[in-house]
Amino acid sequence: MSLAAGPGRGGGGGAQGQLPDEMKVVVEKHVAYIQSLDTRREELEYHLTEHLRISGIYWGLTALHLLGHPDALPRDGVLDFLFSCLHADGGFGAAPGHDPHMLYTVSSVQILAMVDGFDELEKRMKDGKLKVAKYIAGLQQPNGTFAGDEWGETDTRFLYCALNALSLLGFLPSQQADQPPLIDVPAATAYVKACQNFDGGFGTEPGAESHSGQVFTCCGALSITGELDSYLGEEGKDRLGAWLSERQLPSGGLNGRPEKLVDVCYSWWVMSSMAMIGRLHWIDKAKLTAFILQCQDPEEGGFADRPGDMVDVFHTVFGLAGLSLLGHPGLVEVDPA
Amino acid sequence: MQDQWSEVDKNQHGIPRVSGGTADKSEQARVKEQKQIEQYQRLEADVILRIKSKDYSNDTFQATSQLLSQNPEYYTIWNHRRRLLQDVFAKERDRKEDADAADTEAAEREGLTSPQREISLLVKEDLHFLVPLLRQYPKCYWIWNHRSWLLGTATRLLPSHTATELWQGELGLVSKMLSLDSRNFHGWGYRREVVKEIERMSTSSMVEKEFSYTTKMVQSNLSNFSAWHYRSQLIPHLLAERQADCDARKNFLDGEFELITKALYTDPYDQSLWFYHHYLMSTLDPTNSQAPAILDPCTDAERSYYYEQELENVRDMLDGAEDCKYIYQSLLELSQQLRQLDAGNQAVIKGELTAWLSQLLKIDSLRQGRWRDLELKLKL
Ligand SMILES: [Zn+2]
Repeated sequence: MSLAAGPGRGGGGGAQGQLPDEMKVVVEKHVAYIQSLDTRREELEYHLTEHLRISGIYWGLTALHLLGHPDALPRDGVLDFLFSCLHADGGFGAAPGHDPHMLYTVSSVQILAMVDGFDELEKRMKDGKLKVAKYIAGLQQPNGTFAGDEWGETDTRFLYCALNALSLLGFLPSQQADQPPLIDVPAATAYVKACQNFDGGFGTEPGAESHSGQVFTCCGALSITGELDSYLGEEGKDRLGAWLSERQLPSGGLNGRPEKLVDVCYSWWVMSSMAMIGRLHWIDKAKLTAFILQCQDPEEGGFADRPGDMVDVFHTVFGLAGLSLLGHPGLVEVDPA
Repeated sequence: MQDQWSEVDKNQHGIPRVSGGTADKSEQARVKEQKQIEQYQRLEADVILRIKSKDYSNDTFQATSQLLSQNPEYYTIWNHRRRLLQDVFAKERDRKEDADAADTEAAEREGLTSPQREISLLVKEDLHFLVPLLRQYPKCYWIWNHRSWLLGTATRLLPSHTATELWQGELGLVSKMLSLDSRNFHGWGYRREVVKEIERMSTSSMVEKEFSYTTKMVQSNLSNFSAWHYRSQLIPHLLAERQADCDARKNFLDGEFELITKALYTDPYDQSLWFYHHYLMSTLDPTNSQAPAILDPCTDAERSYYYEQELENVRDMLDGAEDCKYIYQSLLELSQQLRQLDAGNQAVIKGELTAWLSQLLKIDSLRQGRWRDLELKLKL
């Protein structure tokens, strides 16, 4: 996910003036909620989720950008923390002292891209960008897919993460045409294609059932390599679009797989995939908007997975990104891939 | 159970919101939470200190067990646990066959050297440790990963008869996990891995057995989406292995259609059943490269035959289920296929297509945009 540049809808709550209360995004409260996240050290949950810290910062920061308050977390503090998670091999852990892993390396690269921090990386580590790129590239497996870390778990999530981060770093083979390629792109895309099912969706590995999260990562991967349109074709887009559109349930919310409960985070995985294949008009946007807004905590800020549940930063960013993709007023525009 | 796809999307589900949040916590609750935090941090600091000083002792191992039981998402601690085990295994392997005659004898009985026996006992102990954790956190990626690492390591370090036995045990475990939650995709992924390993080590196929497993699963609960999916994945291998000829393939397809149509008559609102019906239809569609053909070869005449047969069956399902959107979707899909194959076919008339589509627009209004696009595509 990245923020679309250029004019369009600006941040701030001003644009929502005409909306009834239940349709308003409580911008200031979300900002305050995100700012409060790092001060909750008297809660056990804060300590039990340290293994997610750097991703948490990425989600918080993205949410703040969507809300039009990109500076609400201090840039220096974010960068200091981020570099305290960097290992000599170019990988990032989730927090200081945590082992490097693809997921946190990608979150870190995304943060650096968002706060324009690649120069700082070069300052802190000689050839830092190249080192990070090499850490990621080193996780590619002979069959084209990527492992999460040295222990070898593979998943199409990691494959998308790798392509996404390398593209932000400018180290995709297509971006470095005069250099020997760091990764085998054809092998990676062949693997993605092998994860597709007859219903048009994609799974976590060949043979696994279709899942919206995996649809997002596989479409995202093919979109980065520029093959999504030609690979799917109109028939393929219809098939996948049909599967994705069935994710909407009468409540307006979206689920991740058939016969599962709706959840705000799927608003993003499903909708951005539909946007990538030009089928976003196949669901009821007004109903989805209303559902996402029902998951908002209007008192304390933040979004939950479902109406009435506890909020968290993960569902907050995906709720906001969903609303942004739906063109809700008051939010900065987001790029689906 | 809900679907929890990413590492984070699990602790956060379904917890009711309390208004006022933390501000409302009683003093007593606050003190209790502080104590829990202190205890957790002490344990964490202890583990990290031990690992830093390369103290790969049994006490350290037990301390990681304690910490991981409290927080199985702490992936770095799983990594430390594996480093510790690697160290212990390496020492075992370097160890001279020791003098303890009883140990050596016990190992020999199992066809192992005594270091191998020691390693196999440690692996088994760790597999055992994971079972209650898996029960409590069935969607935690790291627990499944650790299990898979243990098995992989055993396969590398132990003779194949011992490793095979361990993998066989996993089949039992994963069946149990899937009977508790038949949609757990970690479980299904693990099952594929286990089956692949057993097949590799025994150089014999498990396709027939696994196919029977899916039959059993769907017989006990027709609405078993993941089992239908697994079944669809096994079919091409099953037919290849049976060296099924033209007739055998046709009989097979007829049998599957009969099974699913019967189920659909009972419950046309069940998505899992439509999923499998859709799968069978797509094996007849040469443009769907993700659905290998069941009939081989498959002539246009055979395609038409099945499309017409299913049109008739699905039409009958409408009786008493006029508000079931899946029926209209299937009818439209079948008609489209049939018309593509044979433009002049009279099995469906244009008026029917229009009627089905207007039903969908009415009862499936969430997807109006999709049905409008279909209307244009069908040139109605
Ligand atoms: Zn969620």
